[in-house]
Amino acid sequence: MNYNRPELLDPLAADYALGVLRQPARARFERLCASQSSARDARQSWEDRLLPLALSLAPVMPSDSCWQRIQHRLDAARPVGNARWPRGFRWWHGALAAGLLAVLVLVGQQTLWKEPVWQPVAVLAQAHTAPQWRVERSADASRISIHTLSSITLAASQSYELWALPTGSGHPVSLGLLPRSGSLVRALTATQRSLLQSAAKIAVSIEPAGGSPTGLPTGPVVIVASVSAPA
Amino acid sequence: MAEVADGELQGLLQRCARQDAAALRALYGRVAPQLMAVLLRMLGTRAAAEDALQDVFVSIWQRAVQYDQFKGRAMGWMVAIARNRAIDVQRATRPTVLLDAAELAGAEQLRVSGPADSAEFTAAHTALHRCLELLGAAQRQCLLLAYQRGLTQERIALAVRQPVGTVKSWVRRGLQSLRTCLES
Repeated sequence: MNYNRPELLDPLAADYALGVLRQPARARFERLCASQSSARDARQSWEDRLLPLALSLAPVMPSDSCWQRIQHRLDAARPVGNARWPRGFRWWHGALAAGLLAVLVLVGQQTLWKEPVWQPVAVLAQAHTAPQWRVERSADASRISIHTLSSITLAASQSYELWALPTGSGHPVSLGLLPRSGSLVRALTATQRSLLQSAAKIAVSIEPAGGSPTGLPTGPVVIVASVSAPA
Repeated sequence: MAEVADGELQGLLQRCARQDAAALRALYGRVAPQLMAVLLRMLGTRAAAEDALQDVFVSIWQRAVQYDQFKGRAMGWMVAIARNRAIDVQRATRPTVLLDAAELAGAEQLRVSGPADSAEFTAAHTALHRCLELLGAAQRQCLLLAYQRGLTQERIALAVRQPVGTVKSWVRRGLQSLRTCLES
């Protein structure tokens, strides 16, 4: 079907926004929206047209535990460097834990954990500089880890942001900010995951502190790197 | 929902995009009850709706960087995430929500004096209501069952005891009429 014709796109977007497309057609339309702004606009228009139907439902208070469970899930996905120590932590607890971990790692390396958990995505370096970050993905592509390899200099009012570039047409999708030091692990959304799996290249741009305000790169692109094929 | 300006929601989403956890908490306070209403209507039980609500807020947090403030309303963006999540859950679990006659007759009514978050929204709400009123009762009922209940056209056909083909043509013509009416 030629989706550039509004008379074909609009009814499809209407069915999508109403929720009556079957699953394969839904997924096809979502892929179309990821690559074609006219499809995205048509969907947006229909979602806004029908929105009053959702807002006219009487609000229902979720139970108190609901927010706590959300918080819990987000804490679990937080960058590793941010972890807070539990109260009552003593240095010898740490030493004991580190010792135990070392033993587990040694045993694990020899027995259980032979398969690599992380697969390389790319090493990022600007022209004429030492490698700055190493990006890896988990075997199931649900997470990426980013390791800082050299000292990162950038004004405090700016951030480096990582992008997956779609092959062919379509917009880059943000994979989040790059750390200035240390390592982090970040969970990917379904959209990020599928784009990263199909992307041939990733890029780094300089953005205002906190990341692009528009969801698309706004500053200079300083690195474009090829993505290693999944193992 | 009570007096929440879309501009305020946009601001909170932008702060979420910068990983500001306090903004997510504030956003939750503003919109969780309305999203809960949407999810509860589509999924039928509090437990299923609250599970989905958690997924929705994790998604909002993770996808806030993708929210484009220049296109569409912040509330529309979040409701779409909630409805898509509910549709995924429904299609995966194939629930059998049975609708009785009273519910079919009365429960899908659009409230005329709907809650509003801005003057602009009140206008949109009134316009949609006026245009729905112009549809035939059967067409209107099909659209509301699809949108608010998340029913497939096959399930709507069972609920209203009509052939699937009839329901599909009601839905198609209903959407066309809505669009024409809203643009007039």
